[in-house]
Amino acid sequence: MRVTVSGVLLGGVLALREYIAAHVLTCLVPAFLLAGGIVTLVNREGILDHLGVRASKVRSFSLATIASFFLAACSCTVIPVSSGLYYGGAGIGAAFIVLWVAPASNLLALIYTGSILGGTMVLARVVTAVLMAFCVGWVMTLAFRQEESRAMSAVLASNGPTSRILAPVDLGLLGLVAVSLLAPNYLVRSGPYSSKVLVWAIATAAVAGYAGFTKTREEIRRWLEETWWFVRMIFPLLLLGVFLVGMVGTLLPQAWIQQYLGGSGLTATFLATLLGAVSYFATMTEAPFVHTLMKLGMGKGPALALLLTGPGLSLPNWLAIGRVFGVKKAIVYVLTIVFLGTLAGWVFGNFL
Amino acid sequence: MKILIVGPGCPRCAATERNVLDACYALKLPAEVEHVYDPKEFARLGVRFTPAVVVDGKVLVAGRVPSVEELKKLLAQWGEQSG
Repeated sequence: MRVTVSGVLLGGVLALREYIAAHVLTCLVPAFLLAGGIVTLVNREGILDHLGVRASKVRSFSLATIASFFLAACSCTVIPVSSGLYYGGAGIGAAFIVLWVAPASNLLALIYTGSILGGTMVLARVVTAVLMAFCVGWVMTLAFRQEESRAMSAVLASNGPTSRILAPVDLGLLGLVAVSLLAPNYLVRSGPYSSKVLVWAIATAAVAGYAGFTKTREEIRRWLEETWWFVRMIFPLLLLGVFLVGMVGTLLPQAWIQQYLGGSGLTATFLATLLGAVSYFATMTEAPFVHTLMKLGMGKGPALALLLTGPGLSLPNWLAIGRVFGVKKAIVYVLTIVFLGTLAGWVFGNFL
Repeated sequence: MKILIVGPGCPRCAATERNVLDACYALKLPAEVEHVYDPKEFARLGVRFTPAVVVDGKVLVAGRVPSVEELKKLLAQWGEQSG
């Protein structure tokens, strides 16, 4: 087959068309609404207060991990949050757990991965991200023990009594948005796309009704504004990513992918990990990318490794971590993640 | 009045800075506005979520982009309190 420029462009356009038709309404719209809702309704300061300075490692690591699912959906916000934790007096382990889990396994990316790659992949992604988080936490704590024991000079005083993280009314609202996101993609597995849209429309009407009764106009406006921010930040990157992936799909010889990323051998998994660790994937773009590569023959071990390290690490991200936390910590962190990512992908590909 | 916009240089932080400047202009506020980019400074200022607006050492807004209207209200209030 001869590769022509128009053929490559066509590949990009076709991927874009398929993607827009299948995902925007029933998947992206509710996902962005959910992200916007989390920013406006969840008291993230409250979450951090619960992390505590002198909490036991097991406790603070678990809390850091769980909180990160809801903390940030965009890699642009996670470094300040994590460094804020660190310089604010939290343990270095917890800080790096947030740094890892928030991009590698946030709610938005997980739900989206599920709708594209299926439930098994999501489960694998969550479990490995959490296991890796605990390993990273321990490695960082052990490697930089002296600093841990040195008293932190600027321990943030919590501002008054710890405030509640999420009001029950708002929990209901976020729950409904989550339903409008999950129902079309998981209830309607087969059948025409219009039935998905119908389920989505019903669920969305329920969300709108609930919001109308429980929230003030001002609160709704703020929620929609935050949602719009996510759309503006992530959507162009997503479209660009899908377009590029479509072009890459027609350009890359299938034989190459099968040779270098096929199966679930150690080398293939390691290459996928490196690819993910170096290149920048905005949150969510990793899913269509992995999907395309899997169609071209990438094994599921490398696929998982790429899903984890793609959004979790990138060259700009290394540099930023180095600048904020110091070069030594950045090196230890990156090496640990590359090692663990390869291991996780390999185990998943071969034994599960 | 000294206003700090705190954020690592993301688009949301730029929008916050713009809104703060607009609000100051609308109120004809003689404020000194500065943008803090260094994440190490964030914790010292008591900021954990960016973008944030810190006025005379107090965090007024954190973790979202405040609208011009909201900022006008907040800044006017702050101005009255501090005389």
